[in-house]
Amino acid sequence: MRSISAARSDVPTGRFYDGEGGLRLDVEVEVDRAAGTLILRHADLPDGAQYWPLGAMRALKDQARADQMVLTLADMEAVDAGLITTARLSITGRDAIRTIRGAAPNIDKRDVKAGTFRKIGIYAASAVGAVALMVFVILPGLADQLAPLIPIEREVRWGKAVVSQMGRFLGEGSSEELTCEGAEGLAALTRMEERLTGPEGLGYNIDITVFDIDMVNAFAAPGGQIVLTRGLISAAPGADAVAGVLAHEIAHVDNRDVTRNALRIAGSAGLLSMALGDFAGGAIVVGVTQMVIDNSYTREAEFAADAYALDMLGAADVSGEGFAAFFDVLSKREGRLGVKLPEYLSTHPDTPGRAQRARDYAAEQGATRPVLTEADWAALQKVCG
Amino acid sequence: MTHLTGRYFGQSGPLFWLYIRTSLLTLVTLGIYRFWAKTRIRKYVWSASAGGEDSFEYTGTGLEKFLGFLVAIVILAIFLGFLNLILAFIGLNVIGVFEGSAADVTQIIVIYANFIALIPLFLFAAYRARRYKMARTRWRGLRFGMDQGAWGYVARALGHGLLAILTLGLLLPRATFYLEKYMVDRSWYGDAKFSQGGKWTALYPGLKHVAIAFAIIIVGAGLGVALNAPGLAGLAGFVGYIWMLIGFVYYRVSAFNYMMRERRLDGVVTFDAQAETGRVVTIALIGMLAVFGAMIAAGLVFLLVGMAVGFGAAFSGGPVDPDALGAGIFVLSAVGVLLYAAVLLMIGGINLVMITQKVIAHVIASVTVANAPHLDQIQQRAADTGADAEGFADALDIGGAI
Repeated sequence: MRSISAARSDVPTGRFYDGEGGLRLDVEVEVDRAAGTLILRHADLPDGAQYWPLGAMRALKDQARADQMVLTLADMEAVDAGLITTARLSITGRDAIRTIRGAAPNIDKRDVKAGTFRKIGIYAASAVGAVALMVFVILPGLADQLAPLIPIEREVRWGKAVVSQMGRFLGEGSSEELTCEGAEGLAALTRMEERLTGPEGLGYNIDITVFDIDMVNAFAAPGGQIVLTRGLISAAPGADAVAGVLAHEIAHVDNRDVTRNALRIAGSAGLLSMALGDFAGGAIVVGVTQMVIDNSYTREAEFAADAYALDMLGAADVSGEGFAAFFDVLSKREGRLGVKLPEYLSTHPDTPGRAQRARDYAAEQGATRPVLTEADWAALQKVCG
Repeated sequence: MTHLTGRYFGQSGPLFWLYIRTSLLTLVTLGIYRFWAKTRIRKYVWSASAGGEDSFEYTGTGLEKFLGFLVAIVILAIFLGFLNLILAFIGLNVIGVFEGSAADVTQIIVIYANFIALIPLFLFAAYRARRYKMARTRWRGLRFGMDQGAWGYVARALGHGLLAILTLGLLLPRATFYLEKYMVDRSWYGDAKFSQGGKWTALYPGLKHVAIAFAIIIVGAGLGVALNAPGLAGLAGFVGYIWMLIGFVYYRVSAFNYMMRERRLDGVVTFDAQAETGRVVTIALIGMLAVFGAMIAAGLVFLLVGMAVGFGAAFSGGPVDPDALGAGIFVLSAVGVLLYAAVLLMIGGINLVMITQKVIAHVIASVTVANAPHLDQIQQRAADTGADAEGFADALDIGGAI
């Protein structure tokens, strides 16, 4: 290293790199308060000296070394064009560092370019908008286009696998043990289904199973597999209420909601954890946000299934009042549990609203007749023995 | 003086607190500050690393990283969204096409197809991240830099990686050598170009401990079967596993040393590296012990608070007041959440300070630059503004602590 040193021991010095070449100059530095400059002197500098405006001097931040301070110049128009921002001056020695710190007023200033916040805003808004467009419009749209392309046999196979795993999923043992076998009750259910789907039926063979569990629930698995629970049949105020629920699940089947939903969720999976990153507690935020997205998909599907179910009831001359009464029962149960998730965290729309929509529909209906005979309803209630 | 030695000035305390401060800011900004956090940590580590008297300087900014990330996230959201959806569609279509083990195989392929499709992206991001870091590094005011070539790197990495896998690791040194050479040959300091010499077969001796580990496992398993002694096979497996972990550290360290010695800048400046496996392993072991210690301490604090709450309830006399019990449970869960966050921060900080920083310090101190006066003649290079500020690496979460 060719270090050209002209330092006298009493004058503070610095290691100067001009930002254009790798040659080091050991310059003498002196604060000239009157002129507002730091004078760098060395025989090899043009005219033997360089003058750094004190106000434009910045110290590098987050530095590890206490034995030196690295100075640079801010990118300011007022600064002499001969000085460039790539130049570096390293000051060593406690006293010299203190003197220069005291003389340079903006040494720790952060230079934020004009328009930076605007730029951040535009970038962030565009990114959020583009990702939202992808997650809420493009992926659901594509999923809706692709779902009908899956052959029905595949869906049926998949649905059977889902149903046979469901018992284990509910923590109640195997699905075979849970299935209710009451022949008359099942026959009544079939009559209910035929009444709802009409003489021409659907593209799917509807296959209804009743699980012997207390939980009040109903599921539509892909490919026409529908599961009702004993708890639901006991809680239902009448056969028309069960018909409403069944119509709702048939609507899911005919809309291929499970398949569409699986595709939508597969598409958006992992995008959020990527966007939010991996930081302490981040997993919780990611989980909740993912839930909001996934549930917005299902809530939308539930809403559509309710409307479809009401039309199905209407076409079969079954009163929507039973469906409304079932939602009243659900509301009461939700009230008893004492916890109510806000709608955006829930997979289903708000229950009183659903009851109201069913009731409004019933008010407009003409003559209706019960979906099942008294004898069939009694048999259905005893389907699990 | 014709030699420059590497020096490291960083200390545990300041870096630890810098990490804690920036991590807390990351926490309260729901992760957005992480780009600034990483930048500040890099500024510290770069400034602590010096060649001779002059420290390195990191000139990247949190802002450009954030903006680069926003751009990358949109591209990835589109790419991954379509990819995931199409793969799920194919997955649903192949359900039940095959029976028995063929069905399992198709399931596995569909599940891993997602990951396999991501590998080129990871490689792309890795090259871009290195290029960005080079472009934002200065020494003596002069910029480092790296040419474009991320897709070329992806193609080579896939090819070399596949060869290494197909030969059961026998061609791993070839992959290591040529991939590093690809990057070194595209690297610059100012207007001076780096070049990587040497030959890939010279990396084979570095694999000797991995080979020994294999031998231990295989001989142990063989003896275990022959003598009907599962304990012996298990012990050999354990010893072999540990030996293999250290063997790979030995491989990386010796590959680093060799490639550094065969590297040149501008054809004249040469390097030497004397990093030691023993030192790296010791650092890692002590660091891991410290992490365990921190976890045990946190567990004890939680236990003590839990006991205090329990005793408080038990000694309040008479029937337990449900409000007091509720408050106790609330305190306990609040303490739990705080401790969880604190433990994660502590582990991150200890990892950074006691493992990452100490390994960096050791490696930098092991490097010597010969023919240093030539560095005086190197000229500045133009700024590389084209880099995406490693947005892809951030979005895919690769690159680790620094």
